[in-house]
Amino acid sequence: MTAALAPAFAGFLRNARDELNARFAEARRLRPDLDADAFAAFLRDTVDPLVRAVDAAAPAYSVDVARAGYELGLELVGQGLCGPGGREPLIEQGWREVAPPAAVLVAAAPERILGAISNALHQLAATPGARPAEWIAAMRTLAPRCADPDTFLTLGQVAAWRAGMAHFRAGALAAADRLPQDLALAAVRAAGNDWPETRRRLAADPWFDPSTPERAGGRRVAARAGAFRGFGGLFVEPPVAVAAGEHFLVHSGEECWLLTADAFGATFHRATAEERADPRPSSVPPGVTAKGTTLMVDGARMELPELGEIGGVAANGTTLALTSPFTHAVVLVALG
Amino acid sequence: MGLLDALQRVSQSPTNPHAPAAPRTFDVADLYRGPLAAPAEGGAAAGPPLDEKLRQAYFWIVNTAIISPHYDVELNDGPPQSFTLGDSKSRLTLPSAQSYSSFVLLPLLTFATRRKCLFVGGPGRGKTASALLMGVLAGYPVREVRRAMQHGHPQMTVADLLGNPLPADLVAAQSIEDIRIAWRNWLGMRVKIIDEYNRIPTRTQSALLTVMGDNYAEILNHVYECPEAAWYLTANDETGGGTYPVIEALRDRIDVIVQALSFNPRFLADLLARIEANLRPEEVVPRQIIFTEAEVDRVQEEIRAVPIPGDVGRRLEFFASQFEFCEVAAEQWEYKTKDTARLSGVEWNTVTALETGRDRLKDLGCQSRNGLSVRVLMTLLIYAKALAYFRGNRVVELEDVRQVLPFVLHDKLLPDLDAPFFAAPGNAMFRTDRVGWLRRVFDLSCADYERLNLDREDPVAQLTAEFRRGLGGVTEAQTRARLVAVERLVTEWSKGRKLYGHLYDDLLVLKYLHQRYTNYLRWLKTQ
Repeated sequence: MTAALAPAFAGFLRNARDELNARFAEARRLRPDLDADAFAAFLRDTVDPLVRAVDAAAPAYSVDVARAGYELGLELVGQGLCGPGGREPLIEQGWREVAPPAAVLVAAAPERILGAISNALHQLAATPGARPAEWIAAMRTLAPRCADPDTFLTLGQVAAWRAGMAHFRAGALAAADRLPQDLALAAVRAAGNDWPETRRRLAADPWFDPSTPERAGGRRVAARAGAFRGFGGLFVEPPVAVAAGEHFLVHSGEECWLLTADAFGATFHRATAEERADPRPSSVPPGVTAKGTTLMVDGARMELPELGEIGGVAANGTTLALTSPFTHAVVLVALG
Repeated sequence: MGLLDALQRVSQSPTNPHAPAAPRTFDVADLYRGPLAAPAEGGAAAGPPLDEKLRQAYFWIVNTAIISPHYDVELNDGPPQSFTLGDSKSRLTLPSAQSYSSFVLLPLLTFATRRKCLFVGGPGRGKTASALLMGVLAGYPVREVRRAMQHGHPQMTVADLLGNPLPADLVAAQSIEDIRIAWRNWLGMRVKIIDEYNRIPTRTQSALLTVMGDNYAEILNHVYECPEAAWYLTANDETGGGTYPVIEALRDRIDVIVQALSFNPRFLADLLARIEANLRPEEVVPRQIIFTEAEVDRVQEEIRAVPIPGDVGRRLEFFASQFEFCEVAAEQWEYKTKDTARLSGVEWNTVTALETGRDRLKDLGCQSRNGLSVRVLMTLLIYAKALAYFRGNRVVELEDVRQVLPFVLHDKLLPDLDAPFFAAPGNAMFRTDRVGWLRRVFDLSCADYERLNLDREDPVAQLTAEFRRGLGGVTEAQTRARLVAVERLVTEWSKGRKLYGHLYDDLLVLKYLHQRYTNYLRWLKTQ
């Protein structure tokens, strides 16, 4: 049996019935695949709980939120992203888990906040290596501590970096400076309570993890990125990496990807034609040699049996990228 | 929030992408870019660049608002595919670069530059609807735009157009200053629409001319200063076939003319769907493409800042030089113009019959009955800059000039249909195709410019550049040398060369330089 809609939402749907029906009809004219049942399910399962939460926190704004939910829902369901069988269930999860704890903020700027949650989760879901569930969990926990929509959106950017969007590192660090210090520390899950110091270390070392600041740096396998396409990864062939500034270019078959990585994650982005054409030689720092499964760095020995055989070494200022003809992963070694 | 459906979808990707100049950077703001359009923020910095916003508006209009399958402003970045069809060997070109519909592009450029655009074409082709859209783009509610639209009709009085003195004041006032005027609301709007302007009586047209030309209205010695505005006028027939002939000064104030092309019945299904949905595009304009007053101000500034390179400017000068010259119109050099002939009242055919010696087929000047005014040239420069800006280019290209030129000169450069050019094989259709003719004339002019190698061998340009460096410190000997250089050039040109419009203008420049140096020399002698 279907539960009754929140009175505020039911009232809105009743009062604006003609207008809303016209909008649905127009949306369906432009998107013939817009499914009335799917849209109704979205309203019932996703918008209604949100309107209920807003009605409890800021009742004067429940109609605004209901209207925004309706209109955004037309777009999301119309695009096949939401509703039963939608291609991006994470967006609905975000509406259900992130938005209600931020009900006051949603009430203040419904289209902005709901649009941002939707788009952010779409980005996270579409970025290989990112962890959208982690972003949802962080935002669910921290959203109530945001004073206004701008703070919420800034928090979302830092949380996205923390959830694996390593390519946002520079921008997210700058964004974190605009947050209250306790919120910035929480967003990067820092164990300490000194944001300036945490920030300094984050900026200095991409492999610094503020949740375990006591862990010694130094040379270590920091991450493994990429996998065989048959197992859900990107690579059809074992990849080969070359340095590209602070990132790496990873070639696999006919394809080429830009790899960005830090302690929070590693993401791949399809390389542009210019990046592919740039024949920058990979310069390996002096003192680094590889033979078999053994990596020698400044006389120190590291055994990497999982590579089978180290086929290639690329380096930037902080990281070695190791590839092998026997694996589809790129092993990233922090130079410390 | 506006209607969030595909109808309100505005291009999120760059509408006219250019190769990135900088190495790859990641912007954390991209986190919030996705399937849902971001709601407009208050600050100007929050939105896309204004040229991008202008393109977004263009693409929304052509893809959603109006059913317009025409791409007559053809641009190419490589050889286009071209096909010949039919008995008359008509050419169909498939452009290789982003091309545009003039019916949307020119009104939009008019909006951005706050100029005056005339829509022409048969009834029911979307002229008024397009003008309405421009009003909505300026941020006015649809209802307000509709109410402010002035509909020309044979009984339209000056009071209908501008406003009325308050009746109570008319009775009680002791002086004319005491009479208050109830001005019409449309005078204060930044988009002004005059529907069927060629149905307005002549006297009312004169009042309209004051508003259009000088931006103020006057009743009983009271003046209303209008804000700078984009103007849209419609006419079923721009050649004066309305109820009243349009006064020439009013026609001259119109900056561009665009034709509403015919509806392609292949798009009937779209029309039907719109009827069934009872949809009016002007009522669902996405707010992302609505411009604030400050934004249009900024667009104007940015357009004005787009430079026109020297080589493009020179080709335009060369083109403009072709038309005013009329060798037989006067004895004195300065009056050898078509304007002299026109002012004399002598029949045009009589004047052209006197022409001898020149190749009237080759001489581009023979194709027109008049020359280009300063106002027209200024308009041409502004629209060329606007098109370059719209296309996302940093400088004006020759193609920008070429594409806007026919719409600016549409009824400003009048063809002489008795000229040999129109009788030449393959040119007969230019008698009816004003846009095609103007584009062809410009192409011929540019070809002539290339043939004369004027980019490299232009002695007048060299002499002018020398003069523009200033006369400070120029000695008497140097001045005399420059005078000799001018005289030598005139002597050389006088040796049997035929006179064409561009030579006539160059010789006027040489005379000007000669006079300036003569005066300077005289002054030097007094020192």
